[in-house]
Amino acid sequence: MHELGMLMNGVATLAANPMALLLSLVGVALGIVIGALPGLTATMGVAILLPFTFGMDPVSGLLMISGVFFGGVYGGSVTAILLKIPGTPAAAATAMDGFELTKKGMAGVALGTATLSSFLGGMASILVLIFLAPVLAGFALEFSASESFALAVFGLSIIASISGKSVVKGLIAGFLGLLIATVGMDPMGGFPRFTGGYTELFNVPFIPVMIGLFAAAEAFKSMEDPKVRLGMAAALGRIIPPWATYKSLLGVVSRSSILGIVIGIIPGAGSDIAAYVAYNEARRFSKTPENYGKGELGGVAACEAGANGCTGGALLTMLTLGIPGDAVTAVMLGALTLQGLQPGPLLFKEHGDLVFTLFAGMIFCYVGMLVLGLGSLRFMGRILQMPKSVLTPVILALCVVGTYAINNSLFDIGIMLAAGVAGYFMQKWDFPASPVVLALIMGPMAEANFRRALSLSGGSYDFLYTRPITAVLLTVAILTMLLPLVKRWRADRAGASGGAAAGPLEASK
Amino acid sequence: MKGYRLLTGAVVGVLATASLIAGAQAAEYPTKPVELIVPYAAGGGTDLVARAYADATKKHLPQAMGVVNKTGGGGAVGLTEIMAARADGYKVGMGTVEITLLPHMGVARFSVDDFTPIARLNAEPSAITVKADAPWKTIEEFLADAKANPGKVRIGNSGTGAIWHLAAEALQNKTGLTFNHIPFDGANPAVTSLLGGHIEAVSVSPAEVSSQVAGGQLRMLAVMADERSKAFPDVPTLKEKGIDLSVATWRGIVVPKKTPAPVVETLRKASKAAAEEPAFREQLAKMNLTWAYADGPEFGAAMQKDNAFFKDLMTKLGMAK
Repeated sequence: MHELGMLMNGVATLAANPMALLLSLVGVALGIVIGALPGLTATMGVAILLPFTFGMDPVSGLLMISGVFFGGVYGGSVTAILLKIPGTPAAAATAMDGFELTKKGMAGVALGTATLSSFLGGMASILVLIFLAPVLAGFALEFSASESFALAVFGLSIIASISGKSVVKGLIAGFLGLLIATVGMDPMGGFPRFTGGYTELFNVPFIPVMIGLFAAAEAFKSMEDPKVRLGMAAALGRIIPPWATYKSLLGVVSRSSILGIVIGIIPGAGSDIAAYVAYNEARRFSKTPENYGKGELGGVAACEAGANGCTGGALLTMLTLGIPGDAVTAVMLGALTLQGLQPGPLLFKEHGDLVFTLFAGMIFCYVGMLVLGLGSLRFMGRILQMPKSVLTPVILALCVVGTYAINNSLFDIGIMLAAGVAGYFMQKWDFPASPVVLALIMGPMAEANFRRALSLSGGSYDFLYTRPITAVLLTVAILTMLLPLVKRWRADRAGASGGAAAGPLEASK
Repeated sequence: MKGYRLLTGAVVGVLATASLIAGAQAAEYPTKPVELIVPYAAGGGTDLVARAYADATKKHLPQAMGVVNKTGGGGAVGLTEIMAARADGYKVGMGTVEITLLPHMGVARFSVDDFTPIARLNAEPSAITVKADAPWKTIEEFLADAKANPGKVRIGNSGTGAIWHLAAEALQNKTGLTFNHIPFDGANPAVTSLLGGHIEAVSVSPAEVSSQVAGGQLRMLAVMADERSKAFPDVPTLKEKGIDLSVATWRGIVVPKKTPAPVVETLRKASKAAAEEPAFREQLAKMNLTWAYADGPEFGAAMQKDNAFFKDLMTKLGMAK
């Protein structure tokens, strides 16, 4: 094992560099905080930190940035579970079941599961990065526009499974999201659509909508009844899930990690898509799919393992091909170049020692994340004991500040508040918010890539069935869309004939 | 930061009124930190040039420059903000070639004449790059093949109406060929697609393909510049091959049109000194970016030339509004 030897050398080099270890821990801690705050994403954290790393030696600088990246992906889950504020788009998926668990008084176990699953998913992805990078490098190149289109369609097909109580309402919400996604610059023609002359609307204002729909809407709702504390149970409960419980999740975690790694390798697909896809597959393979959306630990584990699995996958494409698959790795590519390391085919040959030192450091980052995460959860959980009259204004203030921070734009705050009001009424009338977010992620990806694929093929639709990956993904998408409907229809028929009236109004209180 | 700005906003108001009476403020400019508006996201190429520049001005201006990213609209949001800023020199901007593109598409409220150029810092030409295992060894072979198969050769660019799309269109216009232009969401996805063999060529800058060219996966056939690239001295220019075409993107400091002359003078002087700092040049070189300092008037002439060129090209393409 050539790689193992190299890795051992890397560990030795790293151990002699305590500053790098310290800085990577600082990076992880910063990343967790950045990820937990709405609006501040891992991308922004990495970009802000970048100038500070110029003066550091390559290993310290790059490990600090990696730490922010890893911590940022994980940190979103903490506030998503405790307060239903997704700090990152991927955490919007975690919030679906995570916040339900908090309502049930199981916040501690949910947080612990999220932390453990993030760690396992991330570690798996780094190990794949270390040992399989050259083998998997070519996979990213197989993905052209038609494959990306098929992946986006598959992503959209998940709407049915994250709709909660009513598939019809979920589809309506998803359709609404697709409509919103058409606002902005036409991806192929380069002209503005439905922008009403506002340059601010040229890019789909995705994160403000997400913050509004989840966090602001939840804050508005909590104003209805100011006396009660947020959630029913202020107690955090135990944090590390009992082994028997977690053992049953290991299947979910490993499946989700693999999905995350594969999606991470694909250019243009990141942790948000991975979290939703992992959630969907966990539900598909679960023995109790009906519990998903009502507070199922498997849902939390799947989202977090998937999202963090992406980190190693995205790094793999960036390091081996010199091509960033998403916004974070694009900034990291800049960081590497500034340190005099040109990512790409020559990196492993010319700077093999340094690359493996970095790999060793990345493993350390994930271990650090596990320790810091578990160690700080009890403290973070105190948030639940804050009186609502304090917490609600704080949440709203965070929403406003976080939204402003994305683009330094007041216009975005307006969008966020409008989405918050819409989200409030959607909650009242039982329309799920997640399909809107999913449609906003997948809609533009599907449209742009479908039209690009048509351009590439000279206007022929043959790419829909002649390209194997495309055909497989589209088939899976159709099955995903139809199976729950068929199952539900069957269950309804069985239920109707059996006369068992399922209470449709499962009130939240 | 926000509170600080509100506070300084109030101070500026008082100062501005005072300066109208005294008329002495310009001599002391700058008396407070200068905001440098970057119309693109933190961490991108434009942002990194801006941050390196802001760092280099520290020695040459009594006050610090702070980078503020105002993204959106393919640069339109940030550029509009620079155009509409109070012309007192406390909000300067990182102008890009989009100043001469966006107005013709009818998506911007500004035109090239709304800005006073201070200094150009960096410029990158377009280059035609193909896969290393492609049959074309020279630009002539590539163009001959495109001639034999009109509309079959797919050239990836960084988005419709973006600079690299217009570069490929300009080449098509000059040579009378027909390419199939494929827009991507930025230069990186276009390069990925080229590596995967899904398109035949890209028209992005040498910097954006340098690591793959160095790694032997891609081959650069020609650059659209007046002179050969320092990083790739073996790659000929189109001019050498008898095609009189140079298309480049550029980045430089601009201020709103009505900025008083003394302020412009101060900024020009400081920018010249900053651009010539070895640390700044070194930083650009590390990012594979080309140092291309030009003083205000020269920069302005280049902007006007680009503006006329792209207006003409986009009218021919039917993109102009």
